[in-house]
Amino acid sequence: MPESIPAPLIIDVLKDTFREARAALAQEGWRQKGDHLGTILSVPDTHQKSVLAALDKEQAIRVITCATEDEAATINAGLWMGGEPVVLMIQHAGLYASINTLRGVAMDGKVPTFYMIGLLSREKDKDPKDSRHSMVRFAEPLLDTFGVPHARMEGPDDVHLIPEYYRLAQQRKGPAAVLVGLETA
Amino acid sequence: MAMKPEEILQAIHAARGGAICIPTMTTSPAWRTIAPDDLSVGCVGFMGGASSLGLGLALANPDRRVVIFDGDGSLLMQLGSLATIAGARPRNLTHLLFKNGVYHTSGSQVTPGGLTVDFVQMARGAGYRNAYAVRDFEDFKKRLPAVLSEEGPLFVELHTGLAEKTPMTDRGGKPFHEQVDTLRRRLLTAAGGAA
Repeated sequence: MPESIPAPLIIDVLKDTFREARAALAQEGWRQKGDHLGTILSVPDTHQKSVLAALDKEQAIRVITCATEDEAATINAGLWMGGEPVVLMIQHAGLYASINTLRGVAMDGKVPTFYMIGLLSREKDKDPKDSRHSMVRFAEPLLDTFGVPHARMEGPDDVHLIPEYYRLAQQRKGPAAVLVGLETA
Repeated sequence: MAMKPEEILQAIHAARGGAICIPTMTTSPAWRTIAPDDLSVGCVGFMGGASSLGLGLALANPDRRVVIFDGDGSLLMQLGSLATIAGARPRNLTHLLFKNGVYHTSGSQVTPGGLTVDFVQMARGAGYRNAYAVRDFEDFKKRLPAVLSEEGPLFVELHTGLAEKTPMTDRGGKPFHEQVDTLRRRLLTAAGGAA
């Protein structure tokens, strides 16, 4: 049965992910500009609200709230061109809304773009493909359609997927996503 | 008389120094002729994205000016980006709007609201540090040094005529991913790393 993941655990993993990303960027020759480890581009997601609340108090990670997911994916491209590590935190509905930007910027532009996508309204006792909510059912098939590698975090033991899929996005120079199975705690 | 986009772009090119420029739609063909192979990346294939692309570049390059060449039809597609930019408060960002009241590339259909839409008020209301309109090329030339150096985010609505070329009448230029790769390597070299 899936479990909620505590926000502090996700924050710690994000920090480690950014530290690793910074080290890789430094090896490439990039200088760190500013004190932050990395940037979260967020369009607030009910499913991940405990993480967003914890990030509000976090000095080491810069959070930029975007009006749309299109903006988030495009701002990410600009930051990447300037050697900044970024994670996008959005909701499945935002994935649907911004699919042309995922295609045009992340895929056609060959821009590493790592998404954490909340599966709002996903039932605890159901696989997403069996959900009665279309917004839950279609997220993974949509990612499959566009060839975006993805994995689902179903509990605290799955947080290793965050750095793994972040790295995958960098290696593939394109989008990769981790879906957040249950609302974070 | 409305300003010519090409004259504006020529003036910017002469004065920009090391500024990163982001053309979109009808400024793209002229810009790649005026400023080939330099610190620019065109917003191609995702209309409306120039403002967000510029914001990301500005945040990642705080010591370098970033200049967006937006269009009125394009900005209307991502109008919320005005608030996102204002909220992020990039001091090094200049957001130029080439306003002509039509979707020139697709056949000059009138944009919603046409020329009556006041983007200056929108940018001010969103929280840009400064926003104003320019209707005359001589006035633009006088203001240009400040346009390229004033603390941002700065928004300038430029009242222009139609460009001579559009991305449909002049389909040249590098694919987006090549532009992205080239600009990233140049910024890395400037940062002291190996390209």
